[in-house]
Amino acid sequence: MIVPAPVLPTTRDENWKHAPLRGIERLRWAPPTALTQEARLAATALLGDDPPQGAISTRIVLIDGLHCPDLARGPVGGDAAGVGPGVAFHATDAPAQPGAATVSIDLAFAGLNRHHRQGELRIRVPDGETLELEVVCIALSCGHPALRIDLGARATLRLFERHIGATGSLANLALSVQLGHGARLEHARLLQPADGARHFETLEAVVGADAQHRMIQVTSGAAATRSTALVALEGAGADLGWHTAVLGAGTQTHDAYVRVTHDAPAVRTEQGFRGIAADRSRIAFNGHMRVTARAPGAHSAQTLRGLTAGAAAEIDLRPQLEIDIDDVRASHGATIGKLDADMLFYLLSRGLDPATADSLLKWAFIADVIARLSDPAWRSRFEDALAPLLPGAHAARSLT
Amino acid sequence: MLEIKDLHARVGDRKVLDGINLQVPNGEVHAIMGPNGSGKSTLAYVLAGRPGYEVTGGSVLFRGQDLLALAPEERAQAGLFLGFQYPVEIPGVNNVYLLKAALNAARKHRGLPEVDAFEFLQLVRGKMKLMQMDEAFLSRGVNEGFSGGEKKRNEILQMLVLEPALALLDETDSGLDIDALKVVAQGVNTLRAPDRAIVLVTHYQRLLDHIRPDRVHVLARGRILRSGGPELALELEARGYDWLLAGETA
Repeated sequence: MIVPAPVLPTTRDENWKHAPLRGIERLRWAPPTALTQEARLAATALLGDDPPQGAISTRIVLIDGLHCPDLARGPVGGDAAGVGPGVAFHATDAPAQPGAATVSIDLAFAGLNRHHRQGELRIRVPDGETLELEVVCIALSCGHPALRIDLGARATLRLFERHIGATGSLANLALSVQLGHGARLEHARLLQPADGARHFETLEAVVGADAQHRMIQVTSGAAATRSTALVALEGAGADLGWHTAVLGAGTQTHDAYVRVTHDAPAVRTEQGFRGIAADRSRIAFNGHMRVTARAPGAHSAQTLRGLTAGAAAEIDLRPQLEIDIDDVRASHGATIGKLDADMLFYLLSRGLDPATADSLLKWAFIADVIARLSDPAWRSRFEDALAPLLPGAHAARSLT
Repeated sequence: MLEIKDLHARVGDRKVLDGINLQVPNGEVHAIMGPNGSGKSTLAYVLAGRPGYEVTGGSVLFRGQDLLALAPEERAQAGLFLGFQYPVEIPGVNNVYLLKAALNAARKHRGLPEVDAFEFLQLVRGKMKLMQMDEAFLSRGVNEGFSGGEKKRNEILQMLVLEPALALLDETDSGLDIDALKVVAQGVNTLRAPDRAIVLVTHYQRLLDHIRPDRVHVLARGRILRSGGPELALELEARGYDWLLAGETA
């Protein structure tokens, strides 16, 4: 179907100035109605045969937004991806109207997802329990995957989320997160859509009292990505760590808007962004920190850094602070530069060839994002995934 | 080992080397001394191929090869090592990786296979012991959070692992306390060999108390003003540089 133009944002809308929106009204947004055997085979090929070392034992796979039990791993039931009673794929009965539930233009793609989605993967971890899970979203043609995460009081979820796909595919993800009192979400996200693919996503998160949300994300590949994240720290003492790295190459466009609303006493956020734009790629990151009058003692720290590694590459970093209260500690900074010439010469003077030195320094630039992954096996998987782009990712791994 | 003839260089519009002539034979240690801004570090950078230092005349032969025709990494692979006065910090790049990558680059240049991981760690641990360095330094970022003295030790550690034919040590003694100076000097002295040469750039005689040079050169105004034996350094310590500069002006 062709989506009516008014539903979707344009680059004239606030927070969408750098978004890859050109021609989106002409894209075919309707997903396939069912999984074909051909699609299963294509997805199998993309996943590869052997689970990587340190892989999570339980995996759920969505292909163009549809659950594929055949590719699941671990104690996953064949009917509805049951990983215990709290994890299941729920098919959608009737689509929502385009934009029907949209209250803000920032949620336009979420509205589009609700209209087209054919189901939702719900991950609910009961009070005090712990779950580790890998979710792989594969885009073959067009999909609107939907994930809903709900953690009970003091529950913990370690979620490794991957996005891969076929050349020229289209994905529009909607992800919602609700963290109960004292819950903890360790969320690793690896977005590596194929060349020529487009990836849109909307993340909405509500973090409850004393809950912790740790999000570490790396994005590369695709023709264009746009990530919209709206996080609300609604419980006292809620704690958010949000660290992302983006690697742009060729003519890719990667755009992200992250709004964090500090809306309860003593909440805190640490946000870091690292972007490397090579060739003619464009990277934009808009980090919007809001501190309301209901958040005395809030602490917000934001560090955005960009590295241009191509003569025609562009990076736009926009740190924003919007504070309605005096009792707050907030810091933010943004820097954009090129590879450090002194570091480069140092490595060359030790005999490293220029390509290796360049790759090592780029890796070093984003390494502190990856280093925040507490699990060495997860770090290795990120390094493996980035190795084709940055051989320094492997090279810099400790030998000891 | 090293033969510099009438070397001229500039940085931007500023002339920084104005006809350097210097020969460093195999097996010798030479010290280059001179007042601030005389061109000592510049000479080291020019020899190592640092971008921004433009050679405008002269020639440099390194083991019979035209050094100036080589890229910085090729100079290193050919056996030239620069110990930096201010080693940079490179967070995110492990020391141990840099050491191994540098060693393998040199081995590849010599047609040797890559070093085995076990053999490499044995080698590095031995050199670290000599430099009185904790193994924890291996897994840290290159020079990341190191004190000034630790950085200098790390430079010498790299030199010991790479075993270069020619080591240019740019003010390796600066920022070192007496004990650290002895350790660094010991490291340098273990590298002395008939088929190697070492060039020390320094301000002070105190380093030469621990590393005895075969020749001492005074560099000022971009030129070598005087050369002599170790006694020249003692004379400089006693008299300073003014008498030499005055003689040059006269």
